[in-house]
Amino acid sequence: MAVSTEKKSKESTGPTGFAGLVLYPMFTAGRQLLRSLWRPSTIIYPSEERLEAPKMRAKVRVASGAPIGVGEIWDNYRGVHALNIRTCISCNLCMFSCPDMCIEMVSTKSPDGKTKKCPQIDYGKCSFCGFCSDACPESCLTMTPDYTITASSRKNMIYSPEQLGEVYKAKLPMNPTRMAVPKNEDNILLDQDLCIGCNACARDCPTKCITMIDIPKPTPKPGEKIAKRIWKEPSVNDAECVRCGTCISVCPKDCLYWGKHK
Amino acid sequence: MAQTLYQFVNMIVVYLLNWWGPYWPTLSPYGAFWAVWISYVIVGLIVVLGSLFNVIVLIWWERKLIGRFMDRRGAMHVGFAGIFQNFADGFKLFRKQPFSPKDADQVGYYFAPAAYMVVSLLILGFLPISFGFFGGSVPLSLLLALALFSFAPLFIFIAAWSSNNKYSLIGGMRTAAQLVAYEIPLLLAIVAVVALTGTFDLSAIVQDQANYGWFAVPLILGLIVFFVAMLAEVERIPFDLPEAEAELVEGWNTEIGGMLFAFTMFTDYVRALVGCYLIVLLFLGGWSMPAAIASFPLAGIIWFQVKTYFVFSIFIWVRAALPRVRTDQLLQVGWKRLLPLSMVNIVWAVALVVLGWPHLHWPGGW
Repeated sequence: MAVSTEKKSKESTGPTGFAGLVLYPMFTAGRQLLRSLWRPSTIIYPSEERLEAPKMRAKVRVASGAPIGVGEIWDNYRGVHALNIRTCISCNLCMFSCPDMCIEMVSTKSPDGKTKKCPQIDYGKCSFCGFCSDACPESCLTMTPDYTITASSRKNMIYSPEQLGEVYKAKLPMNPTRMAVPKNEDNILLDQDLCIGCNACARDCPTKCITMIDIPKPTPKPGEKIAKRIWKEPSVNDAECVRCGTCISVCPKDCLYWGKHK
Repeated sequence: MAQTLYQFVNMIVVYLLNWWGPYWPTLSPYGAFWAVWISYVIVGLIVVLGSLFNVIVLIWWERKLIGRFMDRRGAMHVGFAGIFQNFADGFKLFRKQPFSPKDADQVGYYFAPAAYMVVSLLILGFLPISFGFFGGSVPLSLLLALALFSFAPLFIFIAAWSSNNKYSLIGGMRTAAQLVAYEIPLLLAIVAVVALTGTFDLSAIVQDQANYGWFAVPLILGLIVFFVAMLAEVERIPFDLPEAEAELVEGWNTEIGGMLFAFTMFTDYVRALVGCYLIVLLFLGGWSMPAAIASFPLAGIIWFQVKTYFVFSIFIWVRAALPRVRTDQLLQVGWKRLLPLSMVNIVWAVALVVLGWPHLHWPGGW
């Protein structure tokens, strides 16, 4: 008997007795009932959305220990994409950078009347890695804090450029880290021996910064065969180039490459 | 004028049969015979269906209120404020395929839950809900109701044993231990009420309270003992050891599925309703209220239901606040606390009777 009482006294750290074990919990539960009688804390999500628009929350404050509140999100949250169709240059970089291959370039009518290819995103495949908006040289494809992607079929999960444009028009707070333009210091260099002057790079350059310039046709020595080619060469205007690399990918002879001017 | 539910129904049935008699010649010679039996069936249907509806609303009320206690909303999508959620759940269980474990004892597995439900529904026939509103009135209705009430552990144990499952068996054992232990303080708390009224007729007990005040005032100790014992009898938190989800999968009805599970779950709430009815009838004055706030049609039924839901809300409050007790704590509370308290309550009640309840006077003068 003595042993058991000693054990009890050691173990008894929490509330004890009728008041601690019955009355106090009853009081706590009753207080909670009175608090939530009119309106519980839960948000009836699909029908009620949020209490207010989501506020951006600086990552620094989160790192300092301040908790994320209701309706608050980190400023680097990666949600639905927003596409500014007007500034899109159809460089395909988003499509190339996508690890899930969920981006397809489809022809779209721009607000200024032009028809061009803009990204169409399949959210059924998208993993929200943000590589596409990182790669976008014009920062026209960005990510918003909107996470409400629901659809009744797989087909409806595919967002057309127009739909992404609507997201852009909604003026959601943009993700600043995704807005940053990638800094590529390299330039497009040309291996002159391989070039055949086919004009593919100039044709597909989204910013039209490549011009084909004439080069002198060498006079062949007797008996020597000269290459059969168009005597033109691409000249890249580095100030206008957005470093999209389209010219490199379309070149049939792999004569364009990244590098620094000597 | 009809005094009871049966007389009221019988009056309408006789009227309708007289009206139909000439057009239905085969019926008219046996009109009186048919009137009695049709009335019995209709009264039974009213009592059973009314109770079933009440139980379903009771479950809805529990889901809503326990949600508020937990700072959330209960069922809210099916019907207004989720009032039809239980109907949807019941329909879902109703459509399920009946099955039984391979090694189960088929007779006990199917028979025991059904008997559990029937016995529990039978109690409702003897509990008056308002003046004259009952399925059957017998002089010993309280005793009969409690006798039926104490059948439950037998059938639960049969169901648990027949399931041939270790969790079911442990749950059944716990049920037997718990319900037998708490039967005694429950009945001793009633003895005090019977001592004051001198009758086992629930209608008379309520009439006594209407005349001399609710027994919750003089027998507050008995009310507490009865309340706690009833919590244990209907296997509600904190005394829900028989179906402790954390330890035993679902307790004694682990192996029971489909509509049979709906029956057992439903019966648990029927028993909770019966418990609330008994608390209201014995201690809270039944349907009696001061005439100033009870002089409207069906006042008795409405006030009775209001009191029932009040008592059930306290059940829910206890459920929201308290954790499940251990088996040894359960038995300790039952044998070491409630039993002495109910004894003290009986002594107090007998003292009141000796002092001449309800007109108290010191015997032999002051």
